[in-house]
Amino acid sequence: MVFPSFEFAFFFPVVLALSWALMPHPRLWKPFVLAASYLFYSAASPRYCILLAAITLANQLGAVLVHRARGDRSRKWITAATVTVDLGALGVFKYYGFFVDEWGRFLDSLGLGMPLPLLTLALPIGLSFITFQAISYVVDVKRGLLPPASTLDFALYLSFFPHVVAGPIVRAREFIPQLSKPRDPRDVAVGAAVVLIALGLIKKVAVADYLAREVVDPVFGVPEAFGAPDVALAAYAYAAQIYCDFSGYTDIAIGVALLMGFVFPQNFNSPYRATSFRDFWRRWHMTLSRFLRDFLYIPLGGNRGGKWKTARNLMLTMVLGGLWHGAAWGFILWGALHGAGLVIERGLRGRLDAPAWLRWAIVFNLVVFGWVLFRAENLDVAASFFAQLAQPGEATLWTPVTVAAVVLVIGFQLLPPAPLERLRLRVAGLPSYALGFGLAAVVAVVGATVPSQGVPPFIYFQF
Amino acid sequence: MADERIPQSVPEPPRGPRKPARDALVVVFLSVLVLVLFEGSSVRQAGDDLQPGVERDVVRAVGKPAGWVADRLPFDEWGDDALAFLEDEGSGASGGFGDARRADAAAVPAVSPDSFDPAELGAKAERPRKLDKLLVTGDSLSMPLDVELARRMADSDDGVEVERDPHVGTGISKTGLVDWGKLSTEHVSEREPDATVVFIGANEGFSMPGADGKDLECCGPDWAAEFAYRVRSMMNTYRQGGDARVYWLTLPLPRDGDLQEVARSVNAAIRVAAQPYRAQVRVLDMTSLFTPSGYRDAMEIDGRREIVRDPDGIHLNDEGARLAADVVLRAVHRDFGQ
Repeated sequence: MVFPSFEFAFFFPVVLALSWALMPHPRLWKPFVLAASYLFYSAASPRYCILLAAITLANQLGAVLVHRARGDRSRKWITAATVTVDLGALGVFKYYGFFVDEWGRFLDSLGLGMPLPLLTLALPIGLSFITFQAISYVVDVKRGLLPPASTLDFALYLSFFPHVVAGPIVRAREFIPQLSKPRDPRDVAVGAAVVLIALGLIKKVAVADYLAREVVDPVFGVPEAFGAPDVALAAYAYAAQIYCDFSGYTDIAIGVALLMGFVFPQNFNSPYRATSFRDFWRRWHMTLSRFLRDFLYIPLGGNRGGKWKTARNLMLTMVLGGLWHGAAWGFILWGALHGAGLVIERGLRGRLDAPAWLRWAIVFNLVVFGWVLFRAENLDVAASFFAQLAQPGEATLWTPVTVAAVVLVIGFQLLPPAPLERLRLRVAGLPSYALGFGLAAVVAVVGATVPSQGVPPFIYFQF
Repeated sequence: MADERIPQSVPEPPRGPRKPARDALVVVFLSVLVLVLFEGSSVRQAGDDLQPGVERDVVRAVGKPAGWVADRLPFDEWGDDALAFLEDEGSGASGGFGDARRADAAAVPAVSPDSFDPAELGAKAERPRKLDKLLVTGDSLSMPLDVELARRMADSDDGVEVERDPHVGTGISKTGLVDWGKLSTEHVSEREPDATVVFIGANEGFSMPGADGKDLECCGPDWAAEFAYRVRSMMNTYRQGGDARVYWLTLPLPRDGDLQEVARSVNAAIRVAAQPYRAQVRVLDMTSLFTPSGYRDAMEIDGRREIVRDPDGIHLNDEGARLAADVVLRAVHRDFGQ
């Protein structure tokens, strides 16, 4: 079930009404929202619910055992075993095919034909997000930052429908405390939620899907058929598309959670105004960045072991971060590009004093062309894409609407945030009936731009 | 478990005024009500177009009364008029499946020379016009075949322009999202392809009104006959009176048993539909290529086992699309010599 669908439009009001009605009675409210979340998740495939339940039980068992364990050593081992189960599930469903394929090719190149069994496994939607959140729970329990929650609370945390399929990656200690007492029905950020949901719909349906249809998909499908002007436009259009697609999803998820009385962490903060790679990762998919920092970079040693070890840790973190997005060389190279950017930036710190606009231009363009590795189906397509940048040709895709969409998406992020925040607060302060009509108008207008194919899935659903 | 030791790390909510939960419900229900009044018929249609299951039942349960109300109020029409400029596809095109009705069923259908593939008669095939534009269309099955064909054509230096127009989630037996009768007419009038590749059938099995207006349930002979009629209409449109060529791919069997039943009917209907136009319409057999003795994920290619299907057990993956593209390009080469 995707947010911009009639199914969700009928599912959510019923769940919202019952959720507030049952809120004063946690013994009823929690099983109800858990059931609603599993129903939401089962829309993709009921079988995925079994995996979700299994991950929940395994991690809850791990967390309880870690909490009860006496020595540091046994706590470490139990945590390692639980994390191995999580990464094992991720490995089987997400990386098995890639591994078998690459291993088979390697054996072929040696003249040894011993391929491992081929299996086609569907990647359960949101598995990467679910496993990361489960890991955050067990590790935080091990670190003493959180006592084990009840099984019901933990199951609710992992499956809560606003974030189950594509984040944001909410840490257990951010969410589980919100379950400790009923949400206050007099204190709901309704205006902020409506603004976020409306903005998310516009970003996803009206902008991201439009750019994908008109520019990005045709060019990335067959770059050879386009000249440099169109290929360059496609690179910037994809930067705008992926931002609108993912941040649009996050906006809707945060808005839906707010209407239910829950607060999720921020996930985007105008990433294309970053003037360094470090700055970019503090603004882009912020919940993944801090997960990688807290659960990978710092445990690897962070910046505590000198220049070379820091560089190694940064590269490892970013390459694994790239691999988290999917089993493909493009993601690995994309992660390596960002890792190299972070390492070089660190090495140059204090030695070069470039003006802010120049730093912005360099980082922005490297990020944009780095996305080509992320979007291209494989490295051959990425190579064709870059090769076509040197081929003169006509600007067949440069229409006023496509160019305006790209410029507006990027331009808005460069504006000073204060006036936009004031505007947001004014809209959020409108009376409820005006918010209701406004949201309906946005849904109707955005709905009219949906082509016959319907709304394509969010890009991050595949991760 | 006790919660006293939990550190306060709950994120800050966004700045702005707070309202009671009642207002949240007012906003959500008001927006859904307005949506139903203005888009009631779309809700009904969306429900009809969903695959069978709980979701479909729910959307239909809301959509039917919503559509009934919307039909009796002017809001739906006002909304459509006001937002018509945003819709990117002409919905007023003619040629929909409902436009034409079959000729008198009692009459013996005529047989024309177009019913024969000249190759089978040992006759020389009439050479079609030069292939400048190849259209690849269909539902999600046509992806990534469309990209594969476009790449191979771009590499071949024949100067053939490949236009791709997949319509994900659509089907010939459901006309809510797209009426393929109309869409095929639009394709021909707006794009004028010299040849068209059609790969569609992932979303079939919906009941269709027959000639007498009664709903025909999948997948018996009545349903297959109606389906074949629709396919034949499209084939006739795409062959452009014999000037153009059509390459219609049958369905490789899906993994799911119920879907296999639908696929068998669809494939039988495609073969029957093509009979009057065998001079211009090539039915390319994907069933025997990918699933000669039932469903399989992987097959032997150049001495190595490769997975050819997507994990959903319906679509072809990149490797499968490459094989399908080989078959299409061989057929195109036979016809056009390009």
